[in-house]
Amino acid sequence: MDAAVDGQGLATVTLTVQGMSCAACVARVEKTLKQLSGVTGVHVNLLTGKAVVEYHPGGAGIAEMVNAVRDLGYEVPEEELLLTVRGMSCAACVARVERAVRALPGVTDAVVNLPAESAKIRYYAGAIDKARIKSEIDAVGYEASERLTGSEALDREKEARLKELRYQQRNMWIAWPLAILVMVGMFRDTWIFPYFVPKFLGNVYVLWAMTTPVALIPGWQFFKHSWNGLKRGATDMNLLYATGIGAAYTIATINTLWPDAGFGGRGATFFESAALLTAFIVLGRYMEALTRGRTSEAIRKLISLQARTAHVIREGQELEIAADEVRIGDIVVVRPGESIPVDGEVTVGYSAVDEAMITGESIPVEKRPGAQVIGATINKTGSFRFKATRVGGETALAQIIKMVEDAQATKAPIQKLADFVAGHFIAGVHALALTVFLFWFFVGYDAFFTPGSHFILSPYSLSQVGVFGFALLLSVTTLVISCPCALGLATPSAVMAGTGKGAEHGILFKGADSVESSSRLNAVVFDKTGTLTRGEPSVTDVYPLPGFEGNEVLRLAAMAEKPSEHPLGEAIVHGAEAQGLTIEDVKDFEAITGHGVRAVYQDKVILLGNRRLMQQNNISIENLTPELEKFEAEGKTAMLVALDNQAAGIIAVADTLKENAGIAVERLQKMGVQVVMITGDNRRTANAIAGQLGIKTVLAEVLPQEKATEIKKLQDQGLKVAMVGDGINDAPALAQADVGIAIGSGTDVAKETGDIILIKDDVRDVVNAIEIGRATMGKIRQNLVWAFAYNTLGIPLAAGILYPFTGLIVSPELAAFFMAMSSVSLTLNTLLLKRFKPSLGTRVA
Amino acid sequence: MSILEDRTARRSIPIYTGVSVTMSLLFLAATFLTGKSYTAVSRVGGMIWVFILSMIISMPIVIPKIRKKVLG
Repeated sequence: MDAAVDGQGLATVTLTVQGMSCAACVARVEKTLKQLSGVTGVHVNLLTGKAVVEYHPGGAGIAEMVNAVRDLGYEVPEEELLLTVRGMSCAACVARVERAVRALPGVTDAVVNLPAESAKIRYYAGAIDKARIKSEIDAVGYEASERLTGSEALDREKEARLKELRYQQRNMWIAWPLAILVMVGMFRDTWIFPYFVPKFLGNVYVLWAMTTPVALIPGWQFFKHSWNGLKRGATDMNLLYATGIGAAYTIATINTLWPDAGFGGRGATFFESAALLTAFIVLGRYMEALTRGRTSEAIRKLISLQARTAHVIREGQELEIAADEVRIGDIVVVRPGESIPVDGEVTVGYSAVDEAMITGESIPVEKRPGAQVIGATINKTGSFRFKATRVGGETALAQIIKMVEDAQATKAPIQKLADFVAGHFIAGVHALALTVFLFWFFVGYDAFFTPGSHFILSPYSLSQVGVFGFALLLSVTTLVISCPCALGLATPSAVMAGTGKGAEHGILFKGADSVESSSRLNAVVFDKTGTLTRGEPSVTDVYPLPGFEGNEVLRLAAMAEKPSEHPLGEAIVHGAEAQGLTIEDVKDFEAITGHGVRAVYQDKVILLGNRRLMQQNNISIENLTPELEKFEAEGKTAMLVALDNQAAGIIAVADTLKENAGIAVERLQKMGVQVVMITGDNRRTANAIAGQLGIKTVLAEVLPQEKATEIKKLQDQGLKVAMVGDGINDAPALAQADVGIAIGSGTDVAKETGDIILIKDDVRDVVNAIEIGRATMGKIRQNLVWAFAYNTLGIPLAAGILYPFTGLIVSPELAAFFMAMSSVSLTLNTLLLKRFKPSLGTRVA
Repeated sequence: MSILEDRTARRSIPIYTGVSVTMSLLFLAATFLTGKSYTAVSRVGGMIWVFILSMIISMPIVIPKIRKKVLG
């Protein structure tokens, strides 16, 4: 239930209260709430867990009620609502929607993203309903609807964009031809125009008749939106346009219909100002609608991967149904070339599946019964059937899309400045316009006006303009040029492009703040096992003594270890298998605890183990000692092999480096990032691995629970630290780091902790994530500098700073052109981020 | 909630209108006090423009403050 007000001015709100278990709890909650100022009645229901509070709106607010309940130890849960908000055009619109929603009782936070056209709202469950939030946004002049997901969202978004484009196209068709005719008519008596422009086109009534539809039809949207906002105390750039167009058109109309009214008469009609101003603003709107959707292309690409239909077996029949109708447990049939509709487990058949779009694995992956398949991947060769295990919003693709969308709906800390400026800008600009007007009215006109005055880039003379008209012109131009639309697009459009670029490479930023933080990193701490190394031992070296061959030594060791379940034994068996060696069965296998194993093959005794095992069996290993010590110094586990009481060689086993670990570490160091390795392993092994990678700082013998403390120590040195590790085991360290990077998360990304999730198990993506973060922040800085520079330079020019020296002023239509170009050029600059390629790029989608 | 909105509007209108009218009158007074000879149209046009801008400046300042008081 929503917060509602009755005829006596009392409001009622229903709060959800969790944690109450008895009548005493009910009494405590009721008593506490009743003590709050303005609360006239409280009714708490234990069974439903609801508290209905009646209160005077002038007293305690909902936030105080919630705090009071929470102080008692109960929980008032919050819910999240994701909306699509259409019709926003600048940072002031964002501030307006956020302010309107945050003012609603029960809403705790609202974050609006302009390019994503989204609003993420948190509110106390039960305190307000979704319809109320949507209607509040509608009331301030925008169109709010619940955000859809998947292909439906894609279709709806496309439809809405086309509708906006068609609307602005229609406005362009009205505004531009008429505005050009008005301009030609206004300058009919100048240059070569008298030779081919008919005289009637210069008639003021004809000009007025052509200007009127331009100002009132394409311009109507600005009057409508600004009035909707103004009556609720909110302003946005529509108001700047409305006052600009309104003032220019009103003066033109007065000077046409009542030339003796004293506003400058027929010589100061400024029809072209009113018409071209509207035309340029509409052009800006059209260009924005055209380019804005492109920054969210990554999401669109991901959504487009989803299969639309699925073939399922139900009641023995194969049916073709919509992919979103597949239920968990359904048997799904997939043929060659088809896209897999949902996640599942293969039950029958064999095929190879291209999973590049999700995991980045470039080689098709073989699928046999028992193998997992991922929705949106493409079946290449054979047919198979699988049992659906995750459908709808639970599929890997849906989780990835949600994570990218959530990230794009957040705000980077750097955006706060832009939001603050934009939020206070409109009132500030009007105050400035008032100051400009008063200055030129009382001081400037008398001091500087000359009859030879002109607009910049225009032959139009201002000789007949009086003090009021002149001051008004400069005031209107200041309003028009000051629009903060570029400021509103600067940060979120780059964040969208950056997070989208990340998703293309299997790098999921959890929020805009992760993008910003990743750009500032100067230290990266890698967990060793499973991150830099494979996390499982494998055979690295085989050293045979004279009289034996390497493969023979390996085969003997593998045969001896075949019955063993020890990880080192398994590594040796896998090593022999990888060499294609035949591993025959042995007799009398014996695991000798702390020493090794013993087995008999063809009546010969094989021994595999440490020095002590050899000593106990009186086997001389003197000629193996130098190699043995060398392997141990490298951090490897070296095992001695003997056959029939004669030393045969050494097998060295170690956790091996991941394929691209060295490249990634080298690249990070070149980027000026300090690389640190952290591990629970002994120092010798840790140093050996670090030595192979060129890592100078090693934190060895660190217990899992101490990793976060080590990260903190690095942060205390002033470093901005990223921790790269397993998203589950390293959670505390990931949380402590400035940026937690969970690597190799696979497809169940929703479970991961960390600020950045790397889908693939590829260390190079750490480099890519930092590079994308840096590129995105670079773009944001460029955009903000451009947006601030535009306004900082544009406003003094529009206010007439050059006029005393040049006799020239900026016309309102030129101001509108600059304004439109500032947002378009900024959007185009952001789109350049699409061409950015990380240096170790491994493109996914 | 519309009752609260109405109450907000009722309380706000006199404030921002009053501020804007005062600004216009101050403008008018200034046109006489400066000693310059402005036409009646300049004076009236200026007053209207000052009134519009003052309304636009004061409405977003006044309404949220009043709403906050009304909604608590």
